[in-house]
Amino acid sequence: MQQGRGVERRTVLKAAGASLAVTGLGATATACGGGSGSGDGTVTIRYAWWGAEDRARRINKTIDLFEKKYPKIRVKTDFQPYTDFWKKFNTQASGGNPPDVFQNAIGFLRKYDAKNVLLDLKEQVKAGNLRMEGFRAGLDTFGEIDGKLLGVPVGSNSMALVIDKPVYARAGVTPETGWTWDDFDEAMARVRDRTGRAGDSGMYGVMYLYDLYLRQNGKAFFTEDGLGFTEADLTRWWTKAEKGVRSGLFADPKKVAQIKPKSALSAELAGSEFTWDNFTVRYTSEGRSEYGLAPIPTTDGKRTGQYLGSLMLSASRRTQHPVEVAKFIDFMVHDPEVAKIMGYDRGVPATTAQYEAYRPTDAVNKAIAAYEESLVQAGVLEPITPHPNGADICEAAFLRIGEELGLGKRSVPDAVEQFFNESKTALSS
Amino acid sequence: MGTAVTHAPVTEVRAKDAEPRHGPDTPPRPADLKRRGRRENLAGYLFMSPWIAGFLLLTAGPMAASLYFAFTDYNLFDAPRWIGLDNFSEMFGDPRWRHSVRVTLWYVVVGTPVKLLVALGVALLLAQKRRGQAFYRAAFYAPSLIGASVSVAIVWKAIFSDDAIVDRTQKVFGIGAGGWTGDPDLIIYSLVALTVWQFGAPMVIFLAGLKQVPRELYEAADVDGAGKLRQFWNITLPMISPVLFFNVLLETIHSFQIFSSAYIVGGGAGGNACGPADGSMVYTCYLYVQGFENSRMGLASAMAWMLLVAVALVTAVLFRSQKRWVHYEEGGR
Repeated sequence: MQQGRGVERRTVLKAAGASLAVTGLGATATACGGGSGSGDGTVTIRYAWWGAEDRARRINKTIDLFEKKYPKIRVKTDFQPYTDFWKKFNTQASGGNPPDVFQNAIGFLRKYDAKNVLLDLKEQVKAGNLRMEGFRAGLDTFGEIDGKLLGVPVGSNSMALVIDKPVYARAGVTPETGWTWDDFDEAMARVRDRTGRAGDSGMYGVMYLYDLYLRQNGKAFFTEDGLGFTEADLTRWWTKAEKGVRSGLFADPKKVAQIKPKSALSAELAGSEFTWDNFTVRYTSEGRSEYGLAPIPTTDGKRTGQYLGSLMLSASRRTQHPVEVAKFIDFMVHDPEVAKIMGYDRGVPATTAQYEAYRPTDAVNKAIAAYEESLVQAGVLEPITPHPNGADICEAAFLRIGEELGLGKRSVPDAVEQFFNESKTALSS
Repeated sequence: MGTAVTHAPVTEVRAKDAEPRHGPDTPPRPADLKRRGRRENLAGYLFMSPWIAGFLLLTAGPMAASLYFAFTDYNLFDAPRWIGLDNFSEMFGDPRWRHSVRVTLWYVVVGTPVKLLVALGVALLLAQKRRGQAFYRAAFYAPSLIGASVSVAIVWKAIFSDDAIVDRTQKVFGIGAGGWTGDPDLIIYSLVALTVWQFGAPMVIFLAGLKQVPRELYEAADVDGAGKLRQFWNITLPMISPVLFFNVLLETIHSFQIFSSAYIVGGGAGGNACGPADGSMVYTCYLYVQGFENSRMGLASAMAWMLLVAVALVTAVLFRSQKRWVHYEEGGR
């Protein structure tokens, strides 16, 4: 008996040792997963973006092209929907393991610069790995903040009123450049009365639209370090919104909440929606109707307050391979073949080379091109200031509290107060 | 391969241990026993080492860290900054936090009793000898096994949406409300329904409790002319009160921790995190929003500890209340 136990103990100790060894191996394996070099000089970079399946399919094709041209660079990909993307990114970045290169937007540049997450790409431009020439409409400086190049635009887009064309036709509404908010209100009523559908999907929570409205009045949603409007301004905006929901001009927020992540426009709850012009691509694949672009209503018959928005590519400051990342970004923004694959999915291509390479043949993409062109011709585009740190949280709060107002869970004064409270916290942290 | 390798040490060890260090008539010296004890302890600890490592690294360590973070301003990126009790005062002053507490309490206070009532009711039915009893037990228990999964939550969302089966059924009776999941006041009921539907687990425990009640008591009651209701009230309920207590405790704690179903039914990918107008924003949902959407890990940690304290308090109150209503048989305690 006793002898037997001795044996067991030995075996057990061995087994334990072995299992420890395996655990150790496991740890090494994990460590390797984090690294990205290998014996033959092949380098792996990680690339992450937000978007839907369709975008992923296109991007994967462009990556195949890239890997063919640069056989020593492998690209590992990852994507999520917009909100989930940033949650994952935050966790990775704070753990010191962010993707080497990732999609970015104006609202996040200052935030992540303050957190030392973004790589200043100026060095790589100087070294000749990344060309910043040949960009359209001043987009080359779009991602520049305090002299640092924090993002390189892949495309440009602008806010528009995306409309359900047959619905607008039935209502007899034809929006024209320079139409006013009064014209717009009348149009909403006509859509509601003649087609039985709400005119708009719920514009009161869209930060980028309210920004345009404020700009038409000489203000803006964000200044360099805070909010650019007062409680009184927002009270006016939301009072009008509340009336609009009650009278059925805007879609029933209860229904809008339930069809997410589909949009109220493609789900036929509303006749139009204020959003980015490149969203017509998505809505066309999502909905059954035909979608078009209408101008933003104005206050004075002229100024729309519009500016170019842009999706960008940024690099992580912690990347082990800044040269490869720079080459990757360079390829993605300049290569003509990439433009042919991507179309206007991320807006109109940012460089002239790509812009020329892709000439849309279908109605939807043609409409986007025409819309962007008309903005340039009308000379309404304004410069945009980078948003302050905390802007993304303000944007989310604006949307949520706007929805609560629409659902009747908050009065206007209550909603305004709550928004200012939350913004104050977000912008001060 | 196994045999060849293991055999060698076997003989070796046998040879060593066979030396007459302590024969059958000489008792082992205390030092030897001690050494043996230590070696056995070591083996024991080695056996436990995966669990101990897991506990220290994945439970105890993070808990200690979160306790520290609870008193700091920590955004994941910059080093945590000590701010004392500021997180707690901000929490109590935050209307959204208070709202989440209200939603959670509502969920616990409505959901738990209803679930237990259903579980007890079905257990009473299934305790009687019937044909196909085993099948029914399994069938009623099944939702408990899958109920907590994400896929069921997604199905649940679909069932209670606008123009889905529940809404259409309501419309037949002229009370269509346009779906529960889009209504800030109704969405919490769809979550209550989801938890009640998973009554299987407490039901099985009730069943076990009911089996323990001695038949003689009922026979005696029958002889004394007590009705079924009287028997239930005066025999069954007191006899199963320890089981009832156990279920109340377990389900209450469980309810406080609801997260995934609220998160999925309320929003899921691309939607609001916490339902329309925060209608399904239970405590852990708001904790998640603060931690992962707003990157306020310090505040989120403080919220987590607040929840722990609250659940501990509720548990303590339940334990104290035992004396009044839980009946333990003699020899039990």
